[in-house]
Amino acid sequence: MSHESQFCHERGLPFLEAQSLTKTYRVGGSTVHALRDVDFTAAQGDFVVINGPSGSGKTTFLNLISAIDRPTEGDVLIEGASTAALSERQLAQLRKDKIGLIFQTFNLIPVLTAAENAEYPLLLQKLSRAERSDRVQSILAEVGLEDLARRRPNELSGGQRQRIAIARALITQPKLVLADEPTANLDSETGAQVMALMRTLNEEHCVVFIVVTHDPAVAGYARRRIRIHDGHLMEGGTDDLVDSAPKSPS
Amino acid sequence: MQIKTALRNVFRNRRRTLFSLTVIVVGFAVLASVLGFIEEALRSTQVSLASESGAVQVAAEGLFENTTDGFEYLIDPVRLDRVLSEVSALPGVVGVSWQLNFAGLVGDESGSTLIIGRGVVPCSDVQDYECIVTIGDPLGESSDRQVVLGRALARKLNVGPGDRINIATGTVSGNFNAATVDVIGEVTYAFEELEGQLGLFPISFVQRLLKTDGVERILIGLEDLGEAAAFAAALQARLTDADIPLVTRTWEELNPSYESISSFYGAFSGLAMIGVAILVFFSVLEVLTISFLERSREVGTLRAFGTPRGRVFRSFLLEAGFLGLIGAVAGALISVALILLFNGIGFTWTPPGAAIPQAIRLGLSTEVVLMPVLTVLLSTLLSALFPSWRNARIEIVDALRSV
Repeated sequence: MSHESQFCHERGLPFLEAQSLTKTYRVGGSTVHALRDVDFTAAQGDFVVINGPSGSGKTTFLNLISAIDRPTEGDVLIEGASTAALSERQLAQLRKDKIGLIFQTFNLIPVLTAAENAEYPLLLQKLSRAERSDRVQSILAEVGLEDLARRRPNELSGGQRQRIAIARALITQPKLVLADEPTANLDSETGAQVMALMRTLNEEHCVVFIVVTHDPAVAGYARRRIRIHDGHLMEGGTDDLVDSAPKSPS
Repeated sequence: MQIKTALRNVFRNRRRTLFSLTVIVVGFAVLASVLGFIEEALRSTQVSLASESGAVQVAAEGLFENTTDGFEYLIDPVRLDRVLSEVSALPGVVGVSWQLNFAGLVGDESGSTLIIGRGVVPCSDVQDYECIVTIGDPLGESSDRQVVLGRALARKLNVGPGDRINIATGTVSGNFNAATVDVIGEVTYAFEELEGQLGLFPISFVQRLLKTDGVERILIGLEDLGEAAAFAAALQARLTDADIPLVTRTWEELNPSYESISSFYGAFSGLAMIGVAILVFFSVLEVLTISFLERSREVGTLRAFGTPRGRVFRSFLLEAGFLGLIGAVAGALISVALILLFNGIGFTWTPPGAAIPQAIRLGLSTEVVLMPVLTVLLSTLLSALFPSWRNARIEIVDALRSV
């Protein structure tokens, strides 16, 4: 993969900021708070693991910072630019150019081969066939699946599928990769391999990785650990609330 | 890759695709058969009507408009030759004939009834139907005092081949004339009313009976009935230039019933198209709705990667287009095979207003294949519109959540 540098010059510079993020849903006649007034910052080169039990708001938080959902209140800034006022089309453009996504269930397109799945985001960027082919070969080599390029997802193991999903997330050279429970459907050994791969890619490409999981084993790969509980973020991955503690009304 | 993906998605659920394709192919085959039948029915009706009236007729305008007095419309031999000369100068003519008709009485000692006598050139290239008799013999070149009766008239008179009947009518000068003729055959007509009055005579006999050497109308047969209007216009121009006071009429102008027959078949084919379109629309709609909804998570994934709604919409529509196209190609191949098989078996029928039984064949023109292609393609695409739109509009978060 032709990333510019093996060294992260910009490590530590803020890339993503969530400001007072609140997300509520109407369920029946009542309001459910999925996220409550959350502040969060991720810097270049971060590898953040957000840990929390089911229903704690992990996926909601990920949906908001990946710009596939809009907050009820608050804003998400990417490289200092607000996303609140962006149109659907602009948000799609933002996701296409700057964000890579990895899903719990891999979400590969069954009718496409491994290589075609990895290639898909490049089609949206109108690159030449030759350039797309180069990038696909490079990224498949990087995730160790160049020999399985022609296989369909149903011909791959869970770990191989997740590697393809990682390749797909990284092929556009995004600055932010968001992973939702990437090891949930993998055995512990394969999960560890996938996490190790993500960590390596984070270090080599200076990509911000934000991984949400309820798997405590994943936390070991983090530069930063955050725990989410009842819609609140707590730095440290333990029960100690840090910068996202609920704000008391003043 | 969008095309490749769409094609692969078509065959993703083979059982479902097979169902859709079966519906499309069956609809296609039904529609192609109906259109083929209608096309052939219209064609054979045209041929049948033109075999009685000629593709183009030439006569006095007053005869066509029914505004003449007496026999002033008759065409004398000199004028007949001039018209034949003009006709021979034009291309596409397969034969020329002429007629002299009269109304009179027919009967024997036991009684009489009305007869519509038609004096014809026996077994001409233009009116070969006269040669197809159900009983007895047709008129021949040497026929003179002979008649082929409509079968119903023969029944009415209780006569048949070998019997003799008396004919009585007025001459062109207004006098009364009568003759005895031999019945040599019977002919069947689709219209029983006409069959109950018709008698076919050699024209030379009718001229003697009416005491004239003129003819009433000239009938022209053409290689291509579709050229009748152009031929009639060209001949009319030549007649006018030659100062011959006669007019031309095409077979369609002479048979106004054809327009209503054509309209009926047109409405019938329209109904068949609508029926097949509805069948394909609802069958494919159900299949596509289920198929597309099952892929909501894929849509969510693609949209999450930045795929615009329009591209998602187009990809589903493309998939439906391929389904319709594959169905149309399969439908066309199967329909053509079925039509060829049907035509190979060979059935006959007598179209409305026709004298000659026709082979029941199914037409196999470009239109017979193209119309079903358009119908199934359009219905398939229309049926995909709503599910495609709904899938493209689904919220990413909801789509990703779907199982």
